[in-house]
Amino acid sequence: MRVEKCFFCSSPIYPGHGIHFVRNDSKIFRFCRSKCHKAFQKKRNPRKARWTKAFRKAAGKELTVDPSLEFEKRRNEPVKYNKELWQTTIKAMKRIEEIKVRRQNFFIANRLKKGKELRKAADLREVKDNIHLIKSPAAGLKQRRQLVEVIQEQDVQAMESN
Amino acid sequence: MHKGDKPLKEKYRTRHRTRDIDQVHEDMKSPESLLKQAVDLDKPGSAQFYCLTCAKYFINETALSDHFKSKPHKRRLKALETEPYTQDEADRAAGMGSYVAPKKLTVVSQDKLAKDGDEYNS
Repeated sequence: MRVEKCFFCSSPIYPGHGIHFVRNDSKIFRFCRSKCHKAFQKKRNPRKARWTKAFRKAAGKELTVDPSLEFEKRRNEPVKYNKELWQTTIKAMKRIEEIKVRRQNFFIANRLKKGKELRKAADLREVKDNIHLIKSPAAGLKQRRQLVEVIQEQDVQAMESN
Repeated sequence: MHKGDKPLKEKYRTRHRTRDIDQVHEDMKSPESLLKQAVDLDKPGSAQFYCLTCAKYFINETALSDHFKSKPHKRRLKALETEPYTQDEADRAAGMGSYVAPKKLTVVSQDKLAKDGDEYNS
């Protein structure tokens, strides 16, 4: 028994789940649940529905091109049972999954870094533009005036001495 | 969909199913059989006024030419510009292979081509 992928949302369809639709040109469409089947009946485009894997890949939300994605494949080749091969395959599957998950998480973390930078820049801009709300423009005016007077006096004295 | 919404329910029934966009892509490869159909009195306009991209029969020439100027037709042409979605793309999105971006196609409305007298090619 094969675990097929849903036509609309790309999630796995386990035995006993979902529905098959055979179009009148004998093309088979498999759906994981009624949500996906209904969306297909309404002729929604899976590339445009934001909750599908197809959208997330097309919009660059997830890791799209990577050698770790090339292992899972429909090979259509019957393999004779071999205990050693079986064991190594299971071991490799676990390891590949581990690497794949790590890479996918790394990709998303990297993608979100951009937003952090943008948010910081926006915050700094906001503070700069609205500084009058935090600090009064008149703050320290008295001291500044006194400083000007002192400097002027010094200048006068300097001129007299010359 | 609300349980009591009968018109909507009827629309999405399998027997009311209209041609999918990937089927239209197939149709556009051999348009002659659809554009020059034999007289069929059961079809609207005896199947003489057919819009290939929208997979729709019209009752006369005016209705068809008006349709070519309409928004739904133009929207359809736009939608046909990208390669149709397939099960292969769904599998790739699920992690069976790397993502391959859909190709861009050039689609010309059948009324534009009829004027030039060219053959219909997508």
